[in-house]
Amino acid sequence: MKILVAVKQVAALDEDFVIGADGRDVDAEFLIRDLNEWDDFSLEEAVRIKEAAADPVEVVVVSIGPEEADEVLRKCLAKGADRAVRIWDEAVAGSDPIAIARILAAVARQEAPDMLLAGVQSSDHGFASTGIATAGFLGWPHGAVVASLAYTSGEKSAVFRRELEGGLLHQVTIQCPAVLTIQAGINTPRYASLRSIKQAAAKPIDVRNLADVGISAHEVGEQGSLSHVRRMYIPDKGHAQLIEGSAAEQAKRLAGIIRAFKGEA
Amino acid sequence: MSHIDAVTRILFEEFATAEIRFFYVIGYAAIAVFFYGVYVQVRKYRRGAALRLDGSPWARVLDMVGSVLSHRTIARRDTGAGAAHRLIFYGFVLLFLGTSTITLQYDILDPLFGIRFWQGDFYLVFSLVLDMAGVMLIGGLLYMMARRGWMKLPKLDYARPDRVPGDPDFERPQYRREDWAFLWMLIIIGVTGYILEAARLVWLQDRPLVWQTRWWSPVGAELAEALRTAGLSAATAGTLRHGLWWFHGLIALALIALIPWTKVKHIFTAAASLLVRDPLAAQRLPRIPESQAEPGVAKITDFTWKQLLNLDACTKCGRCHEACPARAVGAPLSPRDVILSLREFANAALEKNVLPDAVELGVHGKAPGQVTMETLWSCRTCMACVEICPVAVEHIPIIVQMRRKLVEEGSMEPLLQKTLQTIHKTGNSFGESRRKRGAWSKALPFAVKDARKEAVDVLWFVGDYASFDPRNQSVTQIFATLLHEAGVDFGILFDGESNAGNDVRRVGEEGLYEVLAEANISALHQAKFNSVVTTDPHSFNTIRNEYPDFGGKFEIQHYTTLLRQLFDKGRLRMARKLDYRVTFHDPCHLGRFNKGYEAPRELLALLGCELVEMGRSRANSFCCGAGGGRIWIPDPVGSEKPAQNRMREAAAIDGLEVYVVSCPKDLTMFEDALKTTGNEGKFVVKELIELVREAVSHELVPA
Ligand code: SF4
Ligand code: SF4
Repeated sequence: MKILVAVKQVAALDEDFVIGADGRDVDAEFLIRDLNEWDDFSLEEAVRIKEAAADPVEVVVVSIGPEEADEVLRKCLAKGADRAVRIWDEAVAGSDPIAIARILAAVARQEAPDMLLAGVQSSDHGFASTGIATAGFLGWPHGAVVASLAYTSGEKSAVFRRELEGGLLHQVTIQCPAVLTIQAGINTPRYASLRSIKQAAAKPIDVRNLADVGISAHEVGEQGSLSHVRRMYIPDKGHAQLIEGSAAEQAKRLAGIIRAFKGEA
Repeated sequence: MSHIDAVTRILFEEFATAEIRFFYVIGYAAIAVFFYGVYVQVRKYRRGAALRLDGSPWARVLDMVGSVLSHRTIARRDTGAGAAHRLIFYGFVLLFLGTSTITLQYDILDPLFGIRFWQGDFYLVFSLVLDMAGVMLIGGLLYMMARRGWMKLPKLDYARPDRVPGDPDFERPQYRREDWAFLWMLIIIGVTGYILEAARLVWLQDRPLVWQTRWWSPVGAELAEALRTAGLSAATAGTLRHGLWWFHGLIALALIALIPWTKVKHIFTAAASLLVRDPLAAQRLPRIPESQAEPGVAKITDFTWKQLLNLDACTKCGRCHEACPARAVGAPLSPRDVILSLREFANAALEKNVLPDAVELGVHGKAPGQVTMETLWSCRTCMACVEICPVAVEHIPIIVQMRRKLVEEGSMEPLLQKTLQTIHKTGNSFGESRRKRGAWSKALPFAVKDARKEAVDVLWFVGDYASFDPRNQSVTQIFATLLHEAGVDFGILFDGESNAGNDVRRVGEEGLYEVLAEANISALHQAKFNSVVTTDPHSFNTIRNEYPDFGGKFEIQHYTTLLRQLFDKGRLRMARKLDYRVTFHDPCHLGRFNKGYEAPRELLALLGCELVEMGRSRANSFCCGAGGGRIWIPDPVGSEKPAQNRMREAAAIDGLEVYVVSCPKDLTMFEDALKTTGNEGKFVVKELIELVREAVSHELVPA
């Protein structure tokens, strides 16, 4: 029995950041990197399934990213993942979520897990599509925004509840293997002590390139993506004005503004 | 042999040989039970983890003997108990020595070498001394009984704050019974000793050698007179003496046999605990040994032998219980009960012939003998307990080592967990960008040197609170200005500085502490400076006492001593006297931890302030509640906070104008408590730095 957990190293903005020279991202020097918040919950969910299981369960974390992403993989190992896989190739840079999903699906085919868990979204780019797209490539059933999960290792299906608008819940039975995207708050992620993180540093991280997972360079990166980031910028601040005075004065002033806006002077 | 030389102790006179033999059998049996008990206790300690003591053994012995003989640790903050215990101790020791020398002569020296000294003048003087010793013993015991029976001291109430009525170990009446049994046993031994002496005198009143020298045993003689007046005949006295002799002897032997099994063992365990005392127990926490697979203490056998010995040394005196700020505000923690609980656990599990399985040795939980995580997280690591314990019990390492286990398994407040992650990520507990650490200096009209780029005389370790907390930043700016005006060549590490780790370590997150300590040590090593100053007592403590274990040896002082020196050298000059009526709060980490009691007081005197001490000051200062990581754990709503408790104490001072602090966390805690206790407007909380600024002249001193 195996659970694959897709994790991402996300970036948070440091104080007084600047946009990089190409104008398409924040200068890397101003980014503070960490494990994506949602992925912390999905990893916790996987580890709990493992801890509750009677038979052995392997939790494998996979991340697509450069060497510095090892840091979050180590954190996952410290929290109870058994194995960590990282996929990287220069060609991957510039991939959109669909291209990333293509790689994840390839890894999933190799690993053949009973369940693939991913976060609902990443806290930096927030596309909320990688997990679902992976299910699409694999042709597996999927459930998005999972707020509670009942799954016993070895079972053929799982029951989960997903959040809908207006406080509604959707209770769903899903056949395994399946892809679930996990909502924050589904559990309380455990604390990885620095000591356990240091110990995890001794564990190997299985680094694979595109060829290892059977993907060619043109399927990923800018070439393999249908969307491209054109520009990243800080928009000019809007203007707001508080209109004071009596109701009549305020109404008069407002009417004046509307007229001015319509060009009626 | 002259008349007087023949005087000696009447021992077995008129005892049948069989009776004497029987007495010896019982005597040896008692001694055998005693030694078996000692063996069981030592085996219990040896079941703990290994530990090597450092320091000179002779210094340890001297220190211990000094403490025992002077009773200095027992007399502190409780002179009554100190005096009474001194009487009991010296009374007991003299009587014990006296009785032992009888055995020495009767059973060893006389039969083997024919040496006898228990006679003549020596005997008479000895009689007198022992008679007085008996009075001391009984006097001391009566006072101890009064403390328990009439004075009803709260610290001698064994009800526990970490259990609720109905729990099997809530009140522990067995302790009260044991206390009384012990007191009565000693009193009975003392009193029957006197009656026995008197009966012997009445019985032998016709023997001039005995009768004429009776006033060398004044109490016995006085009693004999009374018995005679009451009509006791010599013959009846002889019978009485015979019966009492046995009674007295058997109780005394029973006491010997009971020593290792009851609280009486504190005679040995307390002395041993003082002997292995670590003067820096709270200031410098132990590292996790390389060989240890799991950090912290999960099982009773994870404690070191010394800690197991500590548990046995506790005399339930309740001083730590009384001093504990957590207990004072109703938190489920009493340092005494942590110790007693673990002791009950150790006795039940480790006195067995076969060590129970590991699963039965877990000390975390709610069962009798276990310690709950709520209890462990209530501790402020303020050191009030360690500091006052008369028998050198070291609570803080015990609590922190148990917390290490909780941290490893993630059993902690979510907010604390978040803070630890934040500190790991950003190097500070505020979650601010590293870059902003030195941002407070931008507002100053002069540039603060970057000690990483240029050599400075004094490197200022600013610390998290002083760097990021807006209220404290203003104090930080004032201190920088003072240094600047006094012509001190100083600099800071800017974003090279991380949280010093003092509180992270006390939380029990040792791995993170190592990361922080190593980062700071390497940053300090890269800078060029002569000495370090810090405005933060917490950083002060860990850099001074703990960084050396990680290879960082720096000369460091708290700002109070530096300011004092600047005044002495004339680099800071008074412009006006401040005639405020103030009180001073000793921060735990400056006062108790590092004995920095004087400099702040000297500064206050220099400034012209009238210092009115609070009842709890200096070594007995009352923690603001922020220590040990508690600043990152919300206090339960509705209950009193330690800082509020302290504010009420200060508010009782007539005409108080300023409550002076010298620690950034104190400023935060007490300004808040000032408002929540409704004392706002009555007096103000100020940093000593702010007062200094108010008083000194603002002219630049040429460097
Ligand atoms: S260190 Fe302070 S808070 Fe902790 S147990 Fe001791 S006295 Fe109580
Ligand atoms: S630990 Fe020390 S201070 Fe506390 S009750 Fe025991 S002997 Fe007294």
